[in-house]
Amino acid sequence: MSLLQVLTVSLRTLLRHPLRSFFMLLGVAIGIASLVAMASVGEATKRETMRQFTRMIGTFDNLTIQPGRASTRGMPAVNTVPPTLSFADAAAIATEIRGVRRVAEVQAAFDLDVRARDQSVPTSIWGVAANWMDIRGFEIARGIGITDENVQGLARVAVIGEDLRTMLFGDEDPIGQTIRIADVPFQVQGVMASRGVGPGGSSLDNLMIIPVTTASRRLFNRDYLTSITVQLERAGDADRVVDDITGLLRDRHGIVPPVEDDFTINNPRASMMRVAEVSSTLGTILNGVSVIATLIGGVVIMSLMLMAVSERRREIGVRRAVGARRRDVLAQFLAEAALVSALGGVVGVALGVAGAAFAAVRQGLAPVLMWEAIAGAVVLAIAIGLVFGLQPAWRAASVDPITALRS
Amino acid sequence: MIELSHIGKTYQRGDGTPVPALRDISFTIARGEFVTIRGASGSGKSSLLNIIGCLDTPTEGSYRLNGEDVSRYTDEQRSRVRSRSIGFVFQSFNLLARTSALENVEMPALYTGERIDRARARRLLERVGLGQRADHYVTELSGGEQQRVAIARALMNDPPLLLADEPTGNLDSVAGDSVMALLSGLNAEGLTIVMVTHEERTAAHAARELLIADGVIASDRHRGLAVVREASA
Repeated sequence: MSLLQVLTVSLRTLLRHPLRSFFMLLGVAIGIASLVAMASVGEATKRETMRQFTRMIGTFDNLTIQPGRASTRGMPAVNTVPPTLSFADAAAIATEIRGVRRVAEVQAAFDLDVRARDQSVPTSIWGVAANWMDIRGFEIARGIGITDENVQGLARVAVIGEDLRTMLFGDEDPIGQTIRIADVPFQVQGVMASRGVGPGGSSLDNLMIIPVTTASRRLFNRDYLTSITVQLERAGDADRVVDDITGLLRDRHGIVPPVEDDFTINNPRASMMRVAEVSSTLGTILNGVSVIATLIGGVVIMSLMLMAVSERRREIGVRRAVGARRRDVLAQFLAEAALVSALGGVVGVALGVAGAAFAAVRQGLAPVLMWEAIAGAVVLAIAIGLVFGLQPAWRAASVDPITALRS
Repeated sequence: MIELSHIGKTYQRGDGTPVPALRDISFTIARGEFVTIRGASGSGKSSLLNIIGCLDTPTEGSYRLNGEDVSRYTDEQRSRVRSRSIGFVFQSFNLLARTSALENVEMPALYTGERIDRARARRLLERVGLGQRADHYVTELSGGEQQRVAIARALMNDPPLLLADEPTGNLDSVAGDSVMALLSGLNAEGLTIVMVTHEERTAAHAARELLIADGVIASDRHRGLAVVREASA
């Protein structure tokens, strides 16, 4: 028998037993559908997580140095952090470390009330160097950002986030308006492009950006920093640059291990890799569940095929009598299992893609069509059919034609 | 065509006790003969037919089919012999349900390794008088028609030998007669037929009758002619 003949006979046999074929197909289709859907939703979720992450920290070619030990986590504010990072540290990093492109000083404070006319709202104050927004990949929607002249001149100017703008000024043009922080007036000269919502669900747009020098001398009267943002020449250099900066700051701060560092260097790229790893671990677990579902589909095929073999003993006997060899019978039953499983795979892929698209739209994610997952699912379906069809096919091939015909 | 010499068949019971089914069976059937095998149930006639049909192998003796000693053939070799040389007709037709008459007739051709000759299958259905019903499901056909489909199937690979096991056993006398007339006609065209039956009127179509009793040939006679050989029981 040629392969085409085997498949033709198998297809006819499957069509002759529509109910049994349907259940075999269904068993595999469910597993494959969940496999494809899980893979697709998992990938969409991962991409969305990375997108949010990117939106929160901006670009990936930078490091953030914060004062204090690694154990003291959270957003450092000017009134709570240890006074260990100085403007001079930032300057030293900029000049002495190879592979550093730009350095931005930051002095931040959170939950400060700011006022514009009769409105008073809590916001975050970010005193930053002129290059900070550019390093972080934040964009200006209206007006201009903080300039070098602003920083050098201790200018009382501000760039505000979209939420703060809405809360303070509504529909009015914010440019040129005055915002007071503890009676110090700042003139709005720009509005930052909206960054939306962070992974925690909180707004990334309620903030006010001012020159770091103005923050340090005119507002907080503190000459240490809450963080230093370091932009790398090449993102791949991050580990080496982290080591170099660690050495430099230890020297400058007189720290000799085992004394603990009084600073912490965050590598967003590494953090993102951890996030990506977590979501891919989750994806692996989900895929594992789907593979088990598919295996159950295989078990369904096996049991229904075994039933079919005992029902079709007579047919097997006739086929053997007219000249079918054992291997012809084996091939036919194996082909039936593989064929129905492959068809189940195709149906499953269709269901899975539809399900994933539905789920993605409901969760506001962009649907992702994963060709590798689809191809893998179909191959898996065929393999399932072959593996779970083997035992029934073997049993069919072992049917003794004499006893089968006598019954 | 068929040469059996000193054929014995012994089955093993579950506990290992040997049970002889056939003992020292020797006879020859020439090409073109129409032979019936008669015998009570348990006489060994089914065992004999299975051996002649290459479904089973003898435990003793030799069996030559078309000059080829097939008595020690493997399962695969016997499948080949059945495919090429033997057509089977069963008491209960054994057609594939929910399948057209034509597909049933074509089925043996699947296992020849050659292209399926659909025109031949149609010609065979015409030969058995069912040309008009080729595309009907076999379940739509009467018992006599089903048996004629089965005969067409048996002829698909153009075997020189046809084995029929109680071909009229499930048919009324009219249908049975028409099936027997068909078989007689095929025999007249040169087909060798060996038929197991216990019906006298069916056996009457054959020129020669082998009587089996207790696993041995009890008699071998040409109907209406001289007794060829009267074996001692």
